[in-house]
Amino acid sequence: MPIKRVKPGDFTRTPIEKAPDPQLGHAIIAKERYTSPDFMKLEWERMWKRSWLMGCREDDIPEPGDYVCTEIGREAILIVRQADMSIRAFYNVCQHRGNRLVPPGIGKLKSFKCAYHHWEYGLDGDFVRIPDKETFPQGTPCQGLPEVPCDTWGSFVWYNLNKDAEPLREFLGVIPEHLDPYHFDRMAMTRDWTIEWDCNWKASVDAFNESYHVQGIHPQLLYYLDDLDIQIDCYDRHSRYLVPFATTSPRVKETSDIPPLIRLIMKQAGMDPADFDGKTREVRLAVQKWKRENGASQGYDYSDLNDDQLTDDYHYLIFPNITLNVHADDLMLFRQRPHPTDPNKMYYDLQNFRLLKQGEEKPERPEHRFYRHGEKSLGQVLDQDAYNLPGVQLGMQSEGFPGLWLGDQELRIRHFHKVIDDYVYGVGEAP
Amino acid sequence: MDLGLKGKKAVVTGATKGIGRRIVETLADEGVDIAICSRTAEEVEETLAVLRAKGINAVGEAVNVRDGEAYKAWISRAGEQLGGIDILIPNVSGGAGMDSEKNWQRNFEVDVMGSVRAVETAVPFLKKSGEGSVVFIVSTNAIETFAAPMAYNALKASLITYSKQLGQFHGKRRIRFNALSPGTIFVEGGAWDMIKTSQPDFYNATIAAHPFGRMGSAEEVAKAVAFLASPAASWINGTHLIVDGGYTKGVHF
Repeated sequence: MPIKRVKPGDFTRTPIEKAPDPQLGHAIIAKERYTSPDFMKLEWERMWKRSWLMGCREDDIPEPGDYVCTEIGREAILIVRQADMSIRAFYNVCQHRGNRLVPPGIGKLKSFKCAYHHWEYGLDGDFVRIPDKETFPQGTPCQGLPEVPCDTWGSFVWYNLNKDAEPLREFLGVIPEHLDPYHFDRMAMTRDWTIEWDCNWKASVDAFNESYHVQGIHPQLLYYLDDLDIQIDCYDRHSRYLVPFATTSPRVKETSDIPPLIRLIMKQAGMDPADFDGKTREVRLAVQKWKRENGASQGYDYSDLNDDQLTDDYHYLIFPNITLNVHADDLMLFRQRPHPTDPNKMYYDLQNFRLLKQGEEKPERPEHRFYRHGEKSLGQVLDQDAYNLPGVQLGMQSEGFPGLWLGDQELRIRHFHKVIDDYVYGVGEAP
Repeated sequence: MDLGLKGKKAVVTGATKGIGRRIVETLADEGVDIAICSRTAEEVEETLAVLRAKGINAVGEAVNVRDGEAYKAWISRAGEQLGGIDILIPNVSGGAGMDSEKNWQRNFEVDVMGSVRAVETAVPFLKKSGEGSVVFIVSTNAIETFAAPMAYNALKASLITYSKQLGQFHGKRRIRFNALSPGTIFVEGGAWDMIKTSQPDFYNATIAAHPFGRMGSAEEVAKAVAFLASPAASWINGTHLIVDGGYTKGVHF
């Protein structure tokens, strides 16, 4: 029984049309891009330094003087709420002897004072005070903290290391039109973890860009989602797939009892599985109907979302490194950051958000936690992903493995690497 | 040994899948005419086609057991369509679950009242049989702690008591009543099929705890049901038969 989807003519704000599949061939994806320091350097110079990158949430820095220091590769960027409530971003480096001004994380300061010789900068990056200024006969550096382009979208703050970058909206392309209906600004962060993983950052992006692995490492999800009836859409540099949740995979027999994970979806919506007489594969539409009818009285405004969005996973890759499991009531956001020097390591930023009820006070932001691989459970599904990735990275270094042999279910991975190639080698210039 | 089932007429509730499905196929193979119900019409039709291909008369309808009046009306209709009822097998279940208080209501309505209403509606037919037989499908969850404290377990247990007392009460009408508890039975699309895929460690540990190193099949349950239901079991009344390959630990004196 095929999945019933929202179709043209039904209510939707997020575009639902299937994008034509890009013709990207079937060639092996060379493995060296996951392991080579040379590729890592090219990637840094030509891709990371030219892409808009997610820095923080707007509400991480609500008041003047609030700042986030975020790291990308060897750089650390200060994102600072200004006196006039605008947001600006600077390199986190003292112009005197190169010391980093503040450690990574969230803070609040009236000015940024270097701990070494107390050179001091205002929230706007300008010099406030240089001790013994008269002992610098050459004067002071002509600028304060070097600034980088910074803008906001979707409740997030973005920055770009290229001072001549295209506007953020241009870079994001279809993304705002697709995701604005979810109103991320109405969601509150519930978890903010970073885990150091022993793999290249792209191995992590790949892991979330296909559903083929569900039958491999997440067999329990075959009783939670349909991993085969999936719509894949590749855009200019971003991509998405639409995964039906609250149903079972055609790979398994439909069960007479509703599976526990699907019961959980029903309960989260306020339904009682014990009172449901339908079949397992009827639950998805029943939950959609229930949420449409009861959402408002429960304090949730779903009016900008289509019916599928009330149950399904709309999964987006915002190039290069943001993967989003977007749901009506929550958002699971992964930001994959490269290690500064080692292509075999990365930082996996895991942030969860939940939709607040109308009028609900925003809870306090959770503190950021840092863990090493395997130190802390991320929950069953993500543990299964995490457990697998170091083995992938080790295998990439084997003489016995030439590269990735991708199938149709992995089209988004092929597209992702094509876009990286466009940055690294020039459009259509990949070797 | 001839079970004496040929030409008998059986009503089996919830018989399109799993153990119930295997029971009706086994009875049909013995030449029994069958009436079945389930929640969905397509599944009823598919099952009836399979049963009729065995050369017996099979009738059935989509019925929601929780709708007591509709359910009783169907039992009567089934008796009329078959031209009598010799065998009644209340098999349908509301299933396990610990979602809310409604699980108790659900198992009460489906497992308990689904059996009670079937018996009360079928007794006028069964007493005309002369060899009437009722087999309640219970569960070893009723006799031993398993998994979690659930309405399913406790309410299934009530059927054992109910069955014993019916056996005394209706003996003079020549109707036998017995309860049968399947143990861990592997059925495609059943709970253990899901657990095998989604919780392989738990599945393997359960297998390992079985004396025979495997779970039972629906067919093994169906054969025991067929025997208990048949005239061959004429002197077995008010008992509770455990069909679990020796998996449960309790001793029954």
